[in-house]
Amino acid sequence: MRTLLISAVIVICFLLSYFAKIEVALSDSIKDCLRCHSSKALTKELLSKETLSLYVDGSKFEKSVHGALECSACHTDITMKTHPRPKKIESRKAYVREVSQNCLLCHPKDALMKPYMHGALVKKGELTCAECHGSHYIEEMKGWKKTESFSGYCLFCHKHEISKTLPSKEIISLKVNQEEIKKSVHGKFECIVCHSDFSKINHPSYNLKTKSEYRTRMTGICLKCHTDAELQKNPSHYALSKTASCIECHGSHGVVSVKAAKALPINQYCLSCHSRAISMKMKNGETLSVQVKESDILGSAHKNLKCNECHKEFSTTQHPVKVYESIADFREKAKDNCNNCHKEAVAKYDKSIHAMALKKGNANAPDCLRCHDYHKTPWIKSDKVSGLQLCARCHAKETDAFKTSIHNTALTQGKKDAPACAACHNAHDVLPTNIAKINDSCVKCHKNIKDSHNKWLWNPPFRLTTFVETHFNSASCSACHISGNKVLSLVLIDKDKNKALTEKEVAKAFDVDVKEVKGKVDFNGDGKVQEGELWQFMSTLKKKVNADLAGRVDVTEANDAHRIVAKAQAIKDCEACHNPKAEFSGRLEINREDAKAIKLNLDRKAFNSVKAIPNISDFYILGSTKISIFDILFLLALAAGLCVAIGHITLRILTSPIRRRRREGK
Amino acid sequence: MKKVYLHPLPVRIWHWINALGFILLIITGAQIRFAEQLGLMSFKTAVQIHSWTGFILLANYFIWLIYYLFTGKLFKIYIPPFWRPVDFIKRSIKQAKYYGYGIMVGDKNPHHATPDNKFNPMQQLAYLSIMVLLIPVQILTGLMLWDPELFGGLIDIIGGIQIATLIHTALWVFFSAFIIVHFYLASLGHTPTAHFIAMITGYEEEHDEH
Repeated sequence: MRTLLISAVIVICFLLSYFAKIEVALSDSIKDCLRCHSSKALTKELLSKETLSLYVDGSKFEKSVHGALECSACHTDITMKTHPRPKKIESRKAYVREVSQNCLLCHPKDALMKPYMHGALVKKGELTCAECHGSHYIEEMKGWKKTESFSGYCLFCHKHEISKTLPSKEIISLKVNQEEIKKSVHGKFECIVCHSDFSKINHPSYNLKTKSEYRTRMTGICLKCHTDAELQKNPSHYALSKTASCIECHGSHGVVSVKAAKALPINQYCLSCHSRAISMKMKNGETLSVQVKESDILGSAHKNLKCNECHKEFSTTQHPVKVYESIADFREKAKDNCNNCHKEAVAKYDKSIHAMALKKGNANAPDCLRCHDYHKTPWIKSDKVSGLQLCARCHAKETDAFKTSIHNTALTQGKKDAPACAACHNAHDVLPTNIAKINDSCVKCHKNIKDSHNKWLWNPPFRLTTFVETHFNSASCSACHISGNKVLSLVLIDKDKNKALTEKEVAKAFDVDVKEVKGKVDFNGDGKVQEGELWQFMSTLKKKVNADLAGRVDVTEANDAHRIVAKAQAIKDCEACHNPKAEFSGRLEINREDAKAIKLNLDRKAFNSVKAIPNISDFYILGSTKISIFDILFLLALAAGLCVAIGHITLRILTSPIRRRRREGK
Repeated sequence: MKKVYLHPLPVRIWHWINALGFILLIITGAQIRFAEQLGLMSFKTAVQIHSWTGFILLANYFIWLIYYLFTGKLFKIYIPPFWRPVDFIKRSIKQAKYYGYGIMVGDKNPHHATPDNKFNPMQQLAYLSIMVLLIPVQILTGLMLWDPELFGGLIDIIGGIQIATLIHTALWVFFSAFIIVHFYLASLGHTPTAHFIAMITGYEEEHDEH
């Protein structure tokens, strides 16, 4: 069928060729070819479904630089004997590539590589000869170069899909859309107005490493006309121009005026710049991206807000230029935006250990943005696991510990009241555990905790909850509800104020710098407070402050407090604590106002010293913190009682003869 | 031989409850303190017995107090005649001399017990301080240790639980020694068991002094 069709076409061509007049002075062999190929109807369907015209305009061909050549000079694989023959062609591009190989028969590659830029194109192989020079109607380049306009000259190559790969592996497209230029504010410019270092005889090559460097370089071009003086008229635009490239917002060839955007809704107006990769520089040299992804806002809890509902000082007419010392300074001030609506949360946060840490310069400390993100602010979810994951971003160790707890089991089982981090530590007013009275947070959920403990924890003959309270006041819940090591912890307090003495107050009492407070307790600097050291410290301190040591039983490793075990595994054995051999380590804590307390190892024997009576006046664990000297006194008293009795009996026995004689004498 | 009704029934009940209670408290107290060395019972059992006994003795104290207040004998028996101090001191010295010397050489006990004048001057001093001061203090400090939260106010007044413990332990030491001496002195009747029997029957036999 296919053969029949081709035969029919050939016959028709021959018939037509006798009617059509081939007037041009071409060789006979070319005329033979044109007998068919002068027909515009002669086409070929390619495998890619593209249609390839096989028409050749003989007169135009004659005028081309190849006008004197035979067809077979280029189409070396075609002779009248073999032609026409079915040939499978993949696509137009593949055909052009294949045909272009024939150019190399006369134009050796060495010669093509000589002009620098031409060589680069040939080497890269992005373009083939025919794509730029055409196929049958090739003009002489020298003449063309002289007469062609500058832009036409440049676009001869740059209208094609050419690109450049930078050392950063980024690829820059070098294709220029002429239509885009025509529509732009620079529509009447020739290329060399901007690219003034280029000409018909000069084509420099920039050795730029990244796209960003490239953009900066290109921005330099803009500034030749759009001077600093002109840009300064709009201060925010001027500030922007110092950190962002012009083309980021205005485009490169299709340069548009951004003024038109003012008519847009405010969010769109802002995003016309801020959706791009722009950044701002801090005084200390740090760079902060001020790019905003529209998708982030639309997916956030703030999706219905306008940009200037948070960024109050900004509008379509106002864009103050802000200057910040550092990113930390920026974040601190960014909190004001949140404060516009979330006053209560911000006030709570300001008191938190997170705020304190941030103030002290801990760059990793969280602020509003670190947890809630800039524009991606998520909806508050009832899913507590995501809350846990949020804290876990910084508190991995604590999260791992929590995951071993009964609380986490409840959480993974999806129990309604199961706690995650914020249930105990609060979401915004996260306090250091020594200030937070962490037991209170247990009671928040475990409501009837006193009564349930009172079922077994009471001192006969009366079942009183005050006895439970006694234990709650002197032990952390976790001390019994985890299976880790325990510590007898002493906190330095001011008895007059009935609150913890801070490191600062201690420093003041000793008239030293806060850094020296540790050395005032641990004189020998061995990392452990010996009994003697503690009493000497207390005696000196008491001259200035009514100091005392408040005690409690706690977990040795604070992180262990996250490993709460099931109720059945909690400690109920009194002797776990009320035993001289109960395994406790000792610890001395000195609070700090704005951070976690100083924790020093303390010699456990201090609790059994007679000096504990005036210094640890309100903490005593029956059995384990007994004052050892009373044991000796007790034994001495027993011995003394026995001695009196035995001595008196002995004397009476010895003196019995006297009494007998006296009786007999009577 | 004359019999004197020296110890009325309420006093005898009070005394023996007190005696047993004291022994139990001392033993359980020692167990609480010397948990490892004694090993008579668990800490919990020791505390429970100690608390129960403590409350029994608290109630018992009121038997004594109410009896002596209502009969008016508290003043007669327990209060030394502070309005005749010289005489009292003289008699005290005499009594001390008796215990230290007279008893050895067969002197007559300078004190003759009657229901209205039961105690010699040294007993008067000892029992007054024990009954009016030391036992109430031991009861109060015991209560503070029994429930430090409930008696927190009292603890604050005396200056902390360590002070309460200090007093309670010191008196435990004192009472332990006292019980031994008391037991020994009780054997100094006309026969070693005379006073013990009197405290059971109420009647003290009066012998002609040798």
